[in-house]
Amino acid sequence: MIRELVINVFAPFVGTVAYVILFNVPRRYYISCGITGTVGWLVYQFTLTAVSASTASFFAALAAVFLSRMLTVRMKCPITIFLLAGIIPLVPGAGIYYTAYYLVTNQLAAAGQRGLESVKVAFGIVLGIAFVVSIPREVFQIHYWRGRKRRKRLKDINQM
Amino acid sequence: MEICRITENKRDYMDMLLLADPQEDMIERYLDEGEMFELSENGDVLTVCVVVRMKNRSCELKNIATAEAYQGRGYGKYMIRYICEHYSGSCDTMYVGTGNSEGTLAFYKKCGFINSHIVEDFFVKNYKKPIFEEGKQLTDMIYLKKQLDLEIDVKKVADLALEAGRILLKNGGEIFRVEETMKRICRRFHIEQVDVFTMSHAIFISAQSESGEDYCKVKHVPLSASHLGIVAEVNDLSREISAGHVGVEEAFAKLEIIDRIPPKKGAFQVLAAGTGSGVFAMLLGSSVPESIVSFGIGCLIYVWVLIAKKGKLSKIIVNIVGGVIMTLLAILAMHIPGLKMLRLEGMIIGAIMPLIPGVAFVNAIRDISDSDFLSGTVRMIDALLVFVYIAIGVGVTLAAYNNLIGGLAV
Repeated sequence: MIRELVINVFAPFVGTVAYVILFNVPRRYYISCGITGTVGWLVYQFTLTAVSASTASFFAALAAVFLSRMLTVRMKCPITIFLLAGIIPLVPGAGIYYTAYYLVTNQLAAAGQRGLESVKVAFGIVLGIAFVVSIPREVFQIHYWRGRKRRKRLKDINQM
Repeated sequence: MEICRITENKRDYMDMLLLADPQEDMIERYLDEGEMFELSENGDVLTVCVVVRMKNRSCELKNIATAEAYQGRGYGKYMIRYICEHYSGSCDTMYVGTGNSEGTLAFYKKCGFINSHIVEDFFVKNYKKPIFEEGKQLTDMIYLKKQLDLEIDVKKVADLALEAGRILLKNGGEIFRVEETMKRICRRFHIEQVDVFTMSHAIFISAQSESGEDYCKVKHVPLSASHLGIVAEVNDLSREISAGHVGVEEAFAKLEIIDRIPPKKGAFQVLAAGTGSGVFAMLLGSSVPESIVSFGIGCLIYVWVLIAKKGKLSKIIVNIVGGVIMTLLAILAMHIPGLKMLRLEGMIIGAIMPLIPGVAFVNAIRDISDSDFLSGTVRMIDALLVFVYIAIGVGVTLAAYNNLIGGLAV
């Protein structure tokens, strides 16, 4: 139980932070990056019990990107930082290795299967990101909702 | 804090306009032909003003009002500075008419206005009720004026925008961000006619001043390593610029400093790469000893990446050799006596992590979802090829190993 907890919460957190360091992300974003990565991974693990790997990575990307956009608005910084953190635990690194390995050992059927699986996972991530990124930016800003109320009120007053 | 022009529903702001001009039909006289601006913060409107363009390259500030709770905090002054800059391209003189009250006159004089002329009994003739301010009845309208020198040079602003765009693109900003930042900078300095076209390797900008002068420039931006810290800094700077806290010269100086922000220390990066490798190996189901070996391989791989970066080697070589190195090291570790239980894939799937082109991948997706297929596909190919190179490196080494040992079970 404790081992599972460490592996599924601590490991993605540390791994994500370590990875974003390679891209020179400023120190003040480390914790939020770690959280984004962890959330993505947890959603992936959770949904994996019910659906295939590619669908699971779609949902994981969806959750991670949604969190990224909220963090971006809150911390006023480019979203790339959090997107990077969110997808990195999901990237099919193992799939690439196995594809190369099967290709070399001449197990073409297995290579094709592995390769396609990795591509499917990548597509899941792409779709997840594209979905959330396409939501207009204003929705994630607090004063959009406040402003909407105000505009509505003005409209009501004008109609009266 | 941002200022924007209001073109519709100007009458929604009547409450605020009445603060400065107490009679509604007087406001109606200029409201439709006048250009209206609002200064808002977090959705609250703090200051509004109305300017009317007149003959002979002059304009008149008809009304400026700040919400009562926010008066005396410099918002009005800020607004006046903004409209002075805004009209400096198309007008030479700005007039403002006001009653004979000392506070108001002192305010305009602080903003750089000087006395112009007086219209006698203006307030008595045009207003139904007598107006009292500071205990005195207002009678004459006192006009003040300000010379609007051309404060903005199109070339300089376009150069500033281009420099900001170049730094963003070079360090891994999305196309969308590059273009928006450049446009935002131009708009802040009142250059409305501006077009930006950005690709993964180049930026084109063309700007037109209000006098019809055109300026065009192209900048080639070679692909290089991502530095998201710099992207975040430029983003902050662009926010400051559009809020009006930073002038052109100051912005240039700041960009130069930002451009020289060094990457994180080599040793730190190597350690981070190792940690990432070890932890991700564990995450993907490797045993603890495998993860530890993965940590070592990750460190060494990144040492190679840093060396290659210094020598400006091409991506093909960096990644293929990277793949070879990690496979060789993993095979080596497998042959250390007493470590027989290590699996090759357990070590390699972690060690791949530092080579994965995360930023290129993320940016490609962002560009494609913004319908910028040109830059998106270029960056996607850039990212996918890295995977192919790694696979080639790993594959070649494995093949050679299998042939040498005679297909020993891996």
